[in-house]
Amino acid sequence: MLLAVFNILIFPGFLFLGVMALIFAFLDRKIYARLQNRIGPPWFQPLADFLKLLGKESIIPAEADKRIFPLLPVVTLAAVTAAYLYIPIWGPASLFPFEGDLIVILYLLTLPTLCFFLAGWYSTSVYATIGAVRTLTQLFSYEVPLFMALLAPALLADTWSLSGMTAFYAANPVLLLVNIPAFLVAIAACQGKLERVPFDLPEAETEIVAGTFVEYSGRLYAIFRMAIDCELVVVASLIAAVFLPFYTEPVWLGFALYLLKTLVILFILALFRSVMARIRLEQMVKFCWKYLTPVALLQIVINLLLKGVLS
Amino acid sequence: MSKNILEKAVDWGRRKSPWIIHFNAGACNGCDIEVVDALTPRFDVERFGMLQKGTPRHADVLVCTGAVTLQTRDRLVQIYEQMPEPKFVLAIGTCACTGGIFDGCYCVAGGIDAAIPVTAYVPGCAARPEAIIDAVVKLLTALEAGQKAGDSIEEDE
Repeated sequence: MLLAVFNILIFPGFLFLGVMALIFAFLDRKIYARLQNRIGPPWFQPLADFLKLLGKESIIPAEADKRIFPLLPVVTLAAVTAAYLYIPIWGPASLFPFEGDLIVILYLLTLPTLCFFLAGWYSTSVYATIGAVRTLTQLFSYEVPLFMALLAPALLADTWSLSGMTAFYAANPVLLLVNIPAFLVAIAACQGKLERVPFDLPEAETEIVAGTFVEYSGRLYAIFRMAIDCELVVVASLIAAVFLPFYTEPVWLGFALYLLKTLVILFILALFRSVMARIRLEQMVKFCWKYLTPVALLQIVINLLLKGVLS
Repeated sequence: MSKNILEKAVDWGRRKSPWIIHFNAGACNGCDIEVVDALTPRFDVERFGMLQKGTPRHADVLVCTGAVTLQTRDRLVQIYEQMPEPKFVLAIGTCACTGGIFDGCYCVAGGIDAAIPVTAYVPGCAARPEAIIDAVVKLLTALEAGQKAGDSIEEDE
């Protein structure tokens, strides 16, 4: 009981994930700034933003739903933190491994997107509603290739659990090379999940002000931002766990390897963010269905054939 | 008045992370160009934690340019009221400070302070980007010195 509370609140729950999220948010902004030939924010910037927003007035619009509106940021943060509990941080398995945890993580990572939609919808602002509709339209485009790309390696390993996949690929490391197309698809599609450039249409600040979050202020917005930063850590960890399932024996070395893997993925994501511009919604849908989904499908076919050959 | 550690932490965050929203109350666009200029990578205001925000709900500092025309006065007040407390207003440029050459015009209400309480004034035609960044930094230094800008706002109302 006490251990469960410790796991939820301190490690790997809210506190650890929160600190990781602040560090990742800083690194993301710093890399982005350096690639634009700027100096960039100081290391404490995400923390200062978070504290400032906590201390500000939280306005709930008169037209918005009084009960659901303040609840959505908390549900988002809870879903993201719950997903993190099932991701291996060091060593071959997470704290609570079971058969099917990969599916549960993917399900829990869908909840934030639905919360963003509801947040925009219940704000009843025009901009927020447009942002909400874009969130859902985007969800239907990137979710299919993302799921297929993340499930293809699991298909080859013949298990739905991350620990089983780690064991399988530790035994056959060459087979990781087969999953490279799926890795590229996952990197591209997860930008839609994280609502980052070039798929940041729901927030598009230059078109629809701040999209879904237009009416959120103060503490509620602070929790939303924290949840988004946490989602970045969780998605980077998930991609690292699925496509780079390496681990080493001493705990500190394993943790350092985990940090290295996730930071490489963060760097790729920040690079995409700084060299690309936002594309239009129909371009985004077209790109996801015309290019990402067929590649992911091809990967599944390859993995199924390979599984037949191997067994 | 002594503050506990949480209030101090929030104060620190407030000084380190001023998010701005830019509003043109009827300027000739000269000062707007300079405000946008101040946000370019050359000046890199993200060093001070400043970010440009689209919605007044997320912003701390309302950066206003131009004399307030009768057409924009209601919108300016509306945007000001949409911002969550604590909030600050910067008047950028001579017209925003006093009404400038448009003062007394039939369609002009006056400077920004004719519509909403102003925390800091930045004169100049047009105000330079360095002056705008300096104003924000001075505003934050004033916060640090304990001159709570919100007090004067409450008195005005």
